[in-house]
Amino acid sequence: MPSATVNKPRPSELLSRLTSAEPEVKVRALREVKNQIIGNRTKKLSFLKLGAVPAVAGILADSIDDVTDNNNCNNDSNNAINILVQSAAALGSFACGFDAGVQAVLDAGAFPNLLRLLANPNEKVVDAVARALRMIYQSKLAPKYDFLQQKNMEFLISLLNSEKENVSGLGASIITRSCETNLEQKALFDAGILRKLNSLLEGGSLSQRDASLESLATIFRNNPEVISKFAGPEIGRPLSSIIDLAKDRYPRTRLLACMCLIVIRNASPHFLQDIGIKTKLIHILLELLDDPGQVGDEAPFAFSSLIAQKEDLQKLALEANAIDKLHHHIKKGSLHPRRYEGILLALDDMCSKLESCRSKFLSLQVLNLLADALTDYNAGVRAAACICLKSVTRSIKNLSAGYFMNETIVIPLVQLFLDPSTSVQVAALGATSNIVVDFTTRKSIFVQCGGMKQLVQLAKSMESSVRSNALWALKNFVFQADNRLKEGVFSELTASLLSSLIRDPEPSVQEQALALVRNLVDGCINLIEFVFAEDGLILGAIGRQLQCASKAEIGIQGMYALCNVASGNEFHKEAVMQLLFTQMGDKNQSFVIKFLQSNDSRLCTATVWTIVNLTCPSSPGAPGRLEKLRNAGIVSQIKNMVNDPCVDVKLRVRTVLGQSMAFGDN
Amino acid sequence: MSLFWIVIRRLAEIEEIMATSKKVITREEWEKRLNDVKIRKEDMNKLVMNFLVTEGYVEAAEKFRMESGTEPDIDLATISDRMAVKKAVQCGNVEDAIEKVNDLNPEILDTNPQLFFHLQQQRLIELIRNGKIEEALEFAQEELAPRGEENQTFLEELERTVSLLAFEDVSNCPLAELLDISQRLKIASEVNAAILTSQSHEKDPKLPSLLKMLIWAQNQLDEKAAYPRINNLSNATLEDPTV
Repeated sequence: MPSATVNKPRPSELLSRLTSAEPEVKVRALREVKNQIIGNRTKKLSFLKLGAVPAVAGILADSIDDVTDNNNCNNDSNNAINILVQSAAALGSFACGFDAGVQAVLDAGAFPNLLRLLANPNEKVVDAVARALRMIYQSKLAPKYDFLQQKNMEFLISLLNSEKENVSGLGASIITRSCETNLEQKALFDAGILRKLNSLLEGGSLSQRDASLESLATIFRNNPEVISKFAGPEIGRPLSSIIDLAKDRYPRTRLLACMCLIVIRNASPHFLQDIGIKTKLIHILLELLDDPGQVGDEAPFAFSSLIAQKEDLQKLALEANAIDKLHHHIKKGSLHPRRYEGILLALDDMCSKLESCRSKFLSLQVLNLLADALTDYNAGVRAAACICLKSVTRSIKNLSAGYFMNETIVIPLVQLFLDPSTSVQVAALGATSNIVVDFTTRKSIFVQCGGMKQLVQLAKSMESSVRSNALWALKNFVFQADNRLKEGVFSELTASLLSSLIRDPEPSVQEQALALVRNLVDGCINLIEFVFAEDGLILGAIGRQLQCASKAEIGIQGMYALCNVASGNEFHKEAVMQLLFTQMGDKNQSFVIKFLQSNDSRLCTATVWTIVNLTCPSSPGAPGRLEKLRNAGIVSQIKNMVNDPCVDVKLRVRTVLGQSMAFGDN
Repeated sequence: MSLFWIVIRRLAEIEEIMATSKKVITREEWEKRLNDVKIRKEDMNKLVMNFLVTEGYVEAAEKFRMESGTEPDIDLATISDRMAVKKAVQCGNVEDAIEKVNDLNPEILDTNPQLFFHLQQQRLIELIRNGKIEEALEFAQEELAPRGEENQTFLEELERTVSLLAFEDVSNCPLAELLDISQRLKIASEVNAAILTSQSHEKDPKLPSLLKMLIWAQNQLDEKAAYPRINNLSNATLEDPTV
């Protein structure tokens, strides 16, 4: 450890002074510890490692009964007060924005003592303790508060009723952190808490208003019933005080008010739906992006929560020049990572559904900008860049023009396949899946950048989400690709890997593997040989997986794969027939009948398509196969489906029946 | 107090005139209109108190409270604390200032990484100013480097400050402005604002805004009328319109 500066005692020296019998020495040491750690995360960590937190918590516990009334003004009681104040302040600082610190404070058993001290007669003590507890409640690690217990609710009400800002702020923090279920929200409403919070909104100080807004949002979240009770009788009034705060002079208040209004909007279809409020919210949030501090960092996330999945809002935001503004902020550069991530995710939400937004974004020449974000040092930013790219690449117009299949994007994207963070890998695979559906002849760029080989490597990952997303990307890559490309993929994958992926423990992986086979063998008859490689490994795997398909999607992809194989020559068709009739155990019923009787019309369609290919009149073996199918009851099953409500099923069924009549069937 | 009297009358007067088209207004007419505008003394006193309190003139605020009966909107005791911090920074006793801020409210520096960084940066500057180069090096290594690690946005500023150590004659180097007293005043102002905000008080006094409004309003009125103008804010005398 580097040597401390000349005047300062070393941390270990300080800690030993904490154990001194002399109160004055103790107070000075506590104050020194506090001053060294405030604002200094590195010091918090090093003091933590030396066991400072249990030491300070111990002092707090020992002194808890030393200040019993407020009237003594002698030296002893001053020291006692100072010990409590400084130790509470130190514990609060350890907990401030530092999860390891919060955990240490909780582990040291300080929490119940801090709660007790809220009843202390000395104001300064209460202040310091309330502040420390507030810091703890800002963390996810804070102990869960049980609102449903009467005693606890009364305690909470007493906190909110306090005139001291730190104490009422603590009450609000507890609600914001701990209130989760609809039941708890209702309990808080029934106890009159909302009325109290509303009065703090209108008459409280700045910090009380802010704390109130956060608590209200927590109570309203996903609870239309509580919202309508709150906004109900005095129609519009309580909501109008929140709407007013959205125009407050303090940026943080504006942000919190907007977030509260968004929660209300998203939970309840009755409130805040008019275009006026929608436009206002968009404008306020876009303007908050200009704030240089934490408010500006959080604004894009609030914006996302407003527009996500909502086309009408995305349109309004587009008209308000949201994309230009967001783009402008990224171009400014040197962004805090949280802000950078937020803006990228906001752009993702904007481009997720509307082509007009994607066109607007792409018109700003953003490929280099996205490429920079893909190589950012922060994992959250990299993941957000991939997610944004995935939305943007939904633009079929630009995909078809081959806009994205270039080295600027592909090279950094492929590098992310090796990213240490799984979520970044998965996000990169998501974006890749879209990009490789390139309808031009430029897919080879992806191979040249080593992307294809990397995808195959990722298909062997230990993380199932990585495996299934890698297969998804490969599936899209070979979609209508030329034979050479497909052969390249297959030889890299190998039949044994592909067949083991078809038999993967994870259903999502099975589904993607089968879909990959489907795309691989589609198109040219030579490609069908893939499934026969190494003694029909893949074909066998398909058959076995179809016997025990755990969900419809697996059956659908598997059947389409077989359907494509059955579009080949006699040998291919006979091989599929053999597969369909393989018994497993005592089951006499082929899975074909099961699929045909399924409620999922997609599965029915896929199965019927396979039968169509098997009984295609132009192939010599068709009559024989038809006979087999009839004997197995499959033809009569199909006849029952002749008036199926799904058009696709109906049409294919009629094709089969038409084909069977060509062989003189009655 | 006549300065404020005229300023405030002025503003009300101008707003009245805004509606009419450009014309010449004589001083007589103007002063008559001014006299018709009523301003409450209590409002003015509040403005004065707000100014004294925000800027931190504790004794003046006390006296003013006794003489005018105006109640301050902050506890005067906290003003002294705040002024002690400001003074410490202005004198270059940054460590002392930090301790005082932490006694006042430990949350301020714990939740304001930029302010904390600036204070530590100032500590480094003071060490360099006093020629304590070795101590400065140690301090930079132990205290400032971790700030840069914790937060990349500080790295650039950090590099600038640390490069001060490379110069033999710091008073003549390109970064000499860092050693200027104005740097201390800047930081002192930053701390003052942070403390006021933490006390839920506005960090800027109302009076400057009022004067800005006066200037703005006069500029607007210039397009519509020729009238006796205040051109010198410090004596607020009316200057006749140019005909």
